[in-house]
Parts: sequence; structure tokens; C-alpha cells
Amino acid sequence: MVEGTKKRNKIFDYFCEEDQFAGGVAWCAGCPLELTARFVPKVLGKNMVFVGTPGCGAPVLHGQNVGAWHKLAYMASVMTGVPSKATGLSRYYNRIGLDATVVCFTGDGCATDVGFQPLSGAAERGEKFIYITYDNEGYMNTGNQRSSATPLGAATTTTPVGKIGRGKPTVSKNMPLIMLMHRPAYMATATLSHLEDFAKKLQKAKEKVKEGFVYLHVFSPCPVGWRISSNLSIEVCRNAVRTNYFPLWEAEEGKPRFTVEIANPKPVTELTKLMRKFSHLKEDGLEELQKAVDERYALIKSLCDANK
Amino acid sequence: MVSAQKGQVMVITGNAVAAYGAMLCRPEVVAAYPITPQSELAEQLAQFVANGVLDAEYVEVEGENSSMNVVLAASIAGARTCTATSSYGLVFMYDALQEASSFRAPVVMVNANRETPGIHAVSSGQQDMISARDVGWVQIIVENDQEILDQIIMAYRLAEDFNIQLPVMVNYDGFYLSYLAEAVEIPNIEDVDAFLAPLKKQPERQKLVPGVSIGCGTHGMEMGYVEARYKHCQALERVKDKVDEIDKDFGDYFGRYYGGQIEEYRTDDADIIVVASGSATGTVRTVVDAKREDGVKVGLIKLRMFRPFPAERLTEAIKGKKAIGVIDRSLCFGWKYGPICMELKTLAVNIGSIPILSYIDGLANLDITVPHIERVIDEVSAAAQGKPYQEVTWIPMEE
Repeated sequence: MVEGTKKRNKIFDYFCEEDQFAGGVAWCAGCPLELTARFVPKVLGKNMVFVGTPGCGAPVLHGQNVGAWHKLAYMASVMTGVPSKATGLSRYYNRIGLDATVVCFTGDGCATDVGFQPLSGAAERGEKFIYITYDNEGYMNTGNQRSSATPLGAATTTTPVGKIGRGKPTVSKNMPLIMLMHRPAYMATATLSHLEDFAKKLQKAKEKVKEGFVYLHVFSPCPVGWRISSNLSIEVCRNAVRTNYFPLWEAEEGKPRFTVEIANPKPVTELTKLMRKFSHLKEDGLEELQKAVDERYALIKSLCDANK
Repeated sequence: MVSAQKGQVMVITGNAVAAYGAMLCRPEVVAAYPITPQSELAEQLAQFVANGVLDAEYVEVEGENSSMNVVLAASIAGARTCTATSSYGLVFMYDALQEASSFRAPVVMVNANRETPGIHAVSSGQQDMISARDVGWVQIIVENDQEILDQIIMAYRLAEDFNIQLPVMVNYDGFYLSYLAEAVEIPNIEDVDAFLAPLKKQPERQKLVPGVSIGCGTHGMEMGYVEARYKHCQALERVKDKVDEIDKDFGDYFGRYYGGQIEEYRTDDADIIVVASGSATGTVRTVVDAKREDGVKVGLIKLRMFRPFPAERLTEAIKGKKAIGVIDRSLCFGWKYGPICMELKTLAVNIGSIPILSYIDGLANLDITVPHIERVIDEVSAAAQGKPYQEVTWIPMEE
């Protein structure tokens, strides 16, 4: 009844394709990974091939015995082979002039740990495909084990809290910055609280991938592993941006710039209070985490400022 | 099919001739990572591309695991592909090797045989290939430089056959053949095109293309898994006759026959048989000839294919013989016999209970010499006459 009177959300202007996924899929309630997977082909179009791995994405993207739960072409890979398979596919599609966007879609465990070598290799060679990391800060599909993307202090099943254990003792690998150092044709960070920002970045990715390698790092909270209420995952995304825990930036031709700047960043506790993976942290632990966030933000800011 | 034109004769190393063999088949996507003793092959393929002799995407990958992933994916997209490796490189591909065969990607890979990691042996041996026996590939072993070239061409006919669609590994002894220059007849590329032309007349294989609801590498569970594995194993069984058929086609066209799955040399009237593979078979042939002069009724079986194991043809060739000696260039950890010998022993139910003597020789670049083979033949002869024999002999340890 309100149709025609209610202002249409601008995000619909970015969609060139209908949803490629089935209505009900086997992902957890409130998981931003599902929203990301649905969102990407809506913006990029359906002439794409997903390359993915065993992990949270697998049951839906690759199917379980029967067909996958979407209409897109896909190739499933072990975690060590994703960027190399994408290389083989994109090289051949480009050679025969086929209109195809090859999109790797993996978790942070694959991208930052076991599958990092071929990712770095493909980025250095300037392979023409898009690599999207959905970063849920650990091995969530296997039951919340730490990855090198797990933040300082976080409790996981392999960095548990106990009489001696205090969660993960080291800061996470700064993956977006590491990928920037490969000087990709385009790279960006994105998350689901800022959909228009994300959509613009996907559009740029589709354009820039004609020139070379594209990397997108998507912050993707895990309601189950991080112990978040399933109705709060977008709120967590938003607070990650507002606290500068996960700044939104992009880089063309190796030049980084912020796409969203936070005038008055909130303390990191605004983020940590929404989940239980940091709930064991006392004041000093939270201060350490705040220090790590500030330090990381200052570094990317100095790079952005240098390019102004 | 009429005969091919006479090719150009070149004196050329095994690595370089492997590159020529691949180039003549016009692969569209090539990925390679250098490793001793294969590096010259990776370089030569890159040079072909740089010179415009080969129109291919050459991917200079950051490791062998990526070589295999690049070519298997390109192959699934529809490309003809090629890669090459050796030893540690083959080990590093282990997961991707299994994906290539499970995806039914018709990849052709050249492997210069070398010992595997653990003891740093930069030397020849078949341990790399043998350790990859259960990855679902076709594994072929060749003897000399000419056979390297010819077998690579035949490998494409096999891998891309509509009823096969499996990856094929062409193995040659690293060091012995990789650096050995021999006179080789290089066929004209038009003749290679003609030999591979039947592949274009068959139905088009399933390819992964965007815009189509199609996937590759699904999570097979229960019956989905079983059905895929069953079909894979059936295809491997079909390889056996197909290899013999392609060998005949090749011989009819190019004038060189290799025997298909196995080559039988002076076996018809032989009482005893030596089974060998790879470059050492040349030496065995010489010793067999010399022993024949002395009246010893000995023959040679050159094992050209290790996977699928040519059980039927071996049974046929061995039936009625009195004793066999098998020379293995690799080990079967946990079994005292060499790997080829161990598999041959499974034929006992068909060939009867005859002495099968296992010889371990030629590990880590130790030569399989004329005296070694004479010793094998003497001992197998004695066993055939009912004398006691040693089941397993590590020849270098007894010298």
C-alpha cells in the first residue's frame, strides 16, 4: 500500500541482476556472509564464476551432493588452490574473449593463512580476477578456531581463556595493507552496514579487473562464533566502522584513500560490548586492543594522507 | 590415414624434446615452476612463447601447487594445457593432482623422475611418480628422448578422448634423460595436428562457463561420491585398450610403435622374463641379447604404464614362464618388494605360482649396470630351475 509513496532505497540503483540464490539456504541466521554472497552477483551480474573452498561458503556455493543453492557457475577448490584456479579460468576466458568475471570468495583462513601463497602470487602477476575475502576473523566453519585474522585478545577454541590463557596474544595480520603492497589494479575494504559504499566498490572492481588484480576485504561478523545476537550483525559492522576498528578505504593504482571517514570515532568498547568473544578482557586488555586499533588506523591514515 | 612426412632430426636433450612435444600439440595454457632436473623444459616453453612459436598463456606461477591448479582449472574451462615438474614439485601438487583427476581434467603433465623429500637427493629415481600412484592419474614411463616426444603427443590423444577425460603424467628418468642429448626426429606440426584431429570429431566435453548454472567440485556425499568415483575407475579401465589403440595409430602414421601398455622384447619363446621400466630398459635389452647368444631363453617386458596397471597384458605375456625378475627404481615403504614387483605379484592367481624375484636398484642416480642385469638374469634362471633364491635383493647394498 505504501508503494509509490515510500522513497526507494538508492541501493537498488546498483543492482543489475535479480537474486541468484534460493530463498532459503543453509547458512546461519544473521550471517553477513549470506548477505554478501547474494549482494555480489546483484551488482556484478550473473556472467561470473565463483571459486570457493570448503568453509562457511561451501554448503550453499558448492552444494551438498545435489545442486548448489544458486544459479551461478562455480568451481570448488581446496583452500590452497583458489587464486591459481581463478588464474587458469580467467586466463582462458580472456584468451577466447568470453565475457566472464571470475570471483574468488573465501574466508580469512584461506586468504590469510593456508591459501596466502597463491593469493600473493596471483596478485603479483596481476591476474585479472576479483578476490573477495569474507573476514569473520577465524575458522568459523570448523568451530571457531583462530586464524591469523583473529584480533588481539579474542577468545577462540584454540586461543581459549583459562587459568593461563588470555585469548589470542598477537594482533591480526593486516591483510588489506599486505594486499595494497602488491599494488593491485584496485582494492578496497567493505562491510554490510555501508551498502552503497560496498556497491560502488564492486562496480569499480568489475571495471578495474579488466586491467589487473582486484582485492576486496569484507568485514563479516560471525554471530555463532563471536557470540552475537543474530539480529545485531549489521550493528556490529556499523560499530566496527565507527570505532575505526575496520576503516573503509580503497586504493586505485596503489594510492589509498578513505571512502568513509569517521569524524568522532567511538572507543572500541562500543564494538566489543556487542559480542562475547572479548567479554573476558579486563580494562588493561581492552586498552591493549584500543592501542592496536589506533596504531593500525594511524598507519593507514598516514598512507592516505601521503596520497592527498 | 596416410603416413606423416619425415620430420627434422635434431640432437636434443630430454627436457628440450619434451618442450617440443608439448609445443607441437599447441597447448593454450601452460604453467610451470622450475625444479632440477626439469628447469630447462620450463625455460624452453617460455622461450617458445616469447618467440611466438607457441601461442599460449604462459603462467609463471609461484609454486608447483599453483601450476597444477592453473592448468586443471583452465582445462575445465576448455583449454588444452600443459605443465611439467619433478620430485618435490610433484609432492607439492598432491592435493591438486587429486582434484585434476576427480574433476576429470584432461591435463598433460611431464614429470622428470627424481627422488623425493626427506633425504635431499638431487638425483634420479622413480619414487616421486610411484608415491603419486593413488591420485587417479594415468602414469606412463618412457625410455628415451624420441619416446618422450612421441608419448607426449599420444598423451593428448588419450587425455582428451571423450571416453577417457583423465589427466596423463608422462614420466622420464630425470638426469639420465633430462640432460641426455640424443638424435630425435621432430615431426612436422601439421602432422601432429592431423594425428590429434580425431579429438575434434568427438562430442564436445562438458566445460565450465559463466552464465550457466553449472558447477565443478561439488561436495559429493554418499551416492554422489560413490558414483563419481565409480565412473573415474571405469574410465581408468578403459585407458588400457585405448593406450594400445593410440599406439597403433601413432605407429601407423609416424612409423614408430612402442607396444602400448607394455613392450614385449624376445618374450615369445622365453622361459624367464626381466621386467623393467624407464631408461634402464635400454641396458636390459642389450644384456638380454648377449644372454640369448649364450643360449639363455630370456625376454624383457618394458612396463610403459604404471597406472592403470596393465594386469591383463602382463598376465598374457607372463603366463607359462618359469620365473620373473623385476627391477624397481623406487621403494614401497612397508613392503619388502619393490612397488612394480609387489603389484606384479598380485597376478600370481592368474600366472601360477612361479618365482618372482624383486630387485631394488638405480636409486639416487646409482647406475643399473650390465653386471647388475647379468646377475638378475643368472639368479632368475637358477630360480626357474628350482634352485633356492632370495626374494628381495638391494643390488647396491650387496656390492
